[in-house]
Amino acid sequence: MNPLSAKLRGMTSRIAGLLRPGSTNREISAELESHIALHTDDGVRSGLSREESRRQALIQLGGAEQTRQAWRERNTLPRLEHFFRDLRYSVIRLTKSPSVTAIAILSIGLGIGANATIFSMVSRFVLRPAPVGDPTTLLALHTTHDGDRCCNNSSLPTYLDVRNQAKSFSGVAAYYELLPASIGGNGQPERVWGQAVTPNFFSVLELPMVVGRGFVEGEDHAHSVVLGERLWRRRFSADEAIAGKVINLSGRSFTVVGVAPAAFHSVDQILDTQFWVPLGLVAELAPDVSQQNARDFHWLAVVGRLNPGVTRTQTTAELKTLAQRFARDYPATDKGGGFVFEQAGSLPPRDRNSVLIFLAALSVVVLLVLAIAGANVANLLFAQAASRQREMAVRLALGATRGRLRRQMLMESVLLGFGGGAVGILLSLFATRGLSAFDLPAPVPLDIHVALDGRVFVYSFALSFICGIFLGLAPAWAASRPLLSNALKGEDALARKGRRFTLRNVLVVTQIAMSLVLVCVTGLFLRSLQSAANIDIGFGRQNLLLVSVDPRVNAYTPERTVSFLSQLQQHVAALPGVQSAVVTDIVPLSGGGRSDGFHVEGAPDSGDGNPSVDLFMATPEYFDTMGIPRIAGRDFGGETPTGPKTAVVSQSFAERFFPGKDAIGQHVVDGGTSYEIIAVVGNVKARTLGEETRPALFRSLAQTVASDPSMMGYTLMVRAAGNPRLLSQAVRKQVAALDPSIAIFNEETMDEHIRSAFFLPRLAATLFGTFGCIGLVLATVGLYGVMSYAVSRRTREIGIRMAMGAQSGAVERLILRQGLVLSCIAVALGWPAAWTLAKLATSFLYGIQPHDAVTFAVVPPLLIVIALVACWIPARRAASVNPMQALRAE
Amino acid sequence: MGEKTDVWQGTLALMVLKTLQLMGPQHGYGLARRIEQTSGDLLELNYGTLYPALLKLEQEGYIRSKWGVSDNNRKAKFYELTRAGERQVNKAAAEWEQTTEILARFLAPTGEV
Repeated sequence: MNPLSAKLRGMTSRIAGLLRPGSTNREISAELESHIALHTDDGVRSGLSREESRRQALIQLGGAEQTRQAWRERNTLPRLEHFFRDLRYSVIRLTKSPSVTAIAILSIGLGIGANATIFSMVSRFVLRPAPVGDPTTLLALHTTHDGDRCCNNSSLPTYLDVRNQAKSFSGVAAYYELLPASIGGNGQPERVWGQAVTPNFFSVLELPMVVGRGFVEGEDHAHSVVLGERLWRRRFSADEAIAGKVINLSGRSFTVVGVAPAAFHSVDQILDTQFWVPLGLVAELAPDVSQQNARDFHWLAVVGRLNPGVTRTQTTAELKTLAQRFARDYPATDKGGGFVFEQAGSLPPRDRNSVLIFLAALSVVVLLVLAIAGANVANLLFAQAASRQREMAVRLALGATRGRLRRQMLMESVLLGFGGGAVGILLSLFATRGLSAFDLPAPVPLDIHVALDGRVFVYSFALSFICGIFLGLAPAWAASRPLLSNALKGEDALARKGRRFTLRNVLVVTQIAMSLVLVCVTGLFLRSLQSAANIDIGFGRQNLLLVSVDPRVNAYTPERTVSFLSQLQQHVAALPGVQSAVVTDIVPLSGGGRSDGFHVEGAPDSGDGNPSVDLFMATPEYFDTMGIPRIAGRDFGGETPTGPKTAVVSQSFAERFFPGKDAIGQHVVDGGTSYEIIAVVGNVKARTLGEETRPALFRSLAQTVASDPSMMGYTLMVRAAGNPRLLSQAVRKQVAALDPSIAIFNEETMDEHIRSAFFLPRLAATLFGTFGCIGLVLATVGLYGVMSYAVSRRTREIGIRMAMGAQSGAVERLILRQGLVLSCIAVALGWPAAWTLAKLATSFLYGIQPHDAVTFAVVPPLLIVIALVACWIPARRAASVNPMQALRAE
Repeated sequence: MGEKTDVWQGTLALMVLKTLQLMGPQHGYGLARRIEQTSGDLLELNYGTLYPALLKLEQEGYIRSKWGVSDNNRKAKFYELTRAGERQVNKAAAEWEQTTEILARFLAPTGEV
């Protein structure tokens, strides 16, 4: 047995000793008894009397009790024993005042929950490494142009040059980030997004496959596909033997070679893609990638796997050399170019700062919530500490050390902290689920799923612990040094002379002031949501069903696309219950869209300085179906792909380009194409709710599909006589009847579509609403706690007052007045702070001023009313004090 | 050295193990007496400190104990060396000899080093 295992064994048996104190005590007593007997026998044999001999034996033993004590300490772990004794005592203390404990745990829980929720976003978007083999050596490579800090994708030739020349990397892969396709498998074809990747993609990522393999060299142009695990489970019933089987992808046959793990959505962790095909097929699947081989066409994302031992500094230096070489060799395209990189899976450099600022702001808000919660609990504990002075004094008088008392108080607050942490984790489980359920108004699939992970647990645990320590410090200190003489007499031993503003009152005032700030901000966001609901979007939201298809991915020519769409439109329009059906490219309020610079025909073309106009495609009856009022002119009708191009413009377009003139019959030009304006219609919100009204131009779908196809597919808009949902199956059947391989996607009602456009005001209102309510509840509870404590301390005084003839109403007023004074001070402090802070929220508000009169007028009285209610319960209790009992109790 | 020396920290365990190795099973009192005698009565052993030390050795698995009857018919707890204790005593003794040897060289009159 080596010494270490001997030590371990010793430790184990000591811990075991903790669990059976009684039997071992008897053991040592018996052993000592026998020792003394033996020793006494020896003494007697050498001629001493029995008593004297026994006395000598005891002396040489050094005292039986001391030996027993030393033995006991050796037999168990005294520190651990003390720890457990404190722990048991703390638990007993906490369960003795269940309401205080519950309030404290709930308060901390709300604070920790808010922090855990926000930190889970930080963890998800900032800290989480990409789910690839060794994320630290996988770099995402971007090109920069002429001294710009950031950054662009790479062109194919640049990628190939880097791959062939850079020595820092063991492998460099490139991929085209978003490729729409319709996919077969179970049920009707489904629209999914994927990526086109170089064959070395999966080996550079070192991604272990669930089934089969990744691509291999030479597979550039093979019709092979790797499926995402979620897609494989959903559409292919998790078929283990799928490798080698042929599936239908956008009307073509592809052989499945492998299944990528579910955790992997894309290298950047934001895009949500579900299949991968070799890069060589991009021309076939994505016709818009026209100039694949041009050196100035930046369409590829690049990742590189560092060679072992190569540092980032070396990599930077090598890439700099490469950039200089490229600039020399290809001055036309690469002059002034450079490379930047970061660990793959980090936030995209372009958005990093705004995301970090947003998360930092949220973190500050939730720390404020935790501070309010902390003040709350500190107050409660402080009040409790005061009422426990007597207990403390007695324990001190009986010989407990102050350190021991402090340790025990701290243990109570740390227990509270952990309890709160557990509640907080539970709360944030719900909160993150709610956050993930938000529907992002984005035209491409994004993965913004937020969940609790190990980092969040560690963070919450640490925060709970720190919280517990901080909360316990003041009460522990105060309670461990009561004025002994006062305490034993039953008088207040913490109230030292000359303290008018007690810590408790300061805490509660701060708390109410902070929650006033929070509630004001909350009020602003709620008002903003209310006012956003009243924004005139310019079109109707009732009885419309939206269904999207993208025939382009099935290799339709423009002519075939137009005829497919017009047949579909006619068939659907003929369905019973359908009032009208039209086709467009992008539905307004999709979070993005297409725009281009326009100028009046004949007027000078100022290039990039031309006003930007949002572009939509339309078919006849579009405006009636959408409920956009036609102000002047005629509807589309009879346009042919080759005929003169016509356009309908919005009112703001007409005012912008033809102020004071009739726009109808005029011509406007976009990049060489001239449009004749045939009508003026009402304004619509084109991209987002919050936007200033932008000029919009509607083009004929038939005239546009060939020259300027939509990248996002086409949307059929169906106006129903009743509930549009009921038309869903009938419409799907019509699509399948025309071409069963075409996938339907984004099926939603206009009402749902618009609701997701409320993403930002809803998110802000939800977050702040939640935090505001939490803050308010905490402050209320805090005030209640302070007032109850004040009442319990003044029981005797109140008893005397009532014995002297005070009416219960007067007593009630006395207590209420005290609470009212505190709340008024808090409001006086908090209101200006809220007023100042509101300005910062300006850019997030819709249609209301940051100094919204309603919010700032309603919140303070509301808060005072709530404060009065919180005081009223203790006040009632004070008024019902029985003078005889109150006086006798002491 | 006229005065009696206290037992140095850590050496008591070795004394106990060595004594048990030489004498076989012993009870606490016997061990204490034996250690005093072996030291030529130069050591002042507080008998009370022996018991925690015995407990520690037992916890670490170097000795084991069982109740028995002493020569003069008293009930007593007897300790004996385990196999691990046997190994430990040899190892510790060797280490201790080396330590004292090194120290001895330092303390020896100069010139002999």
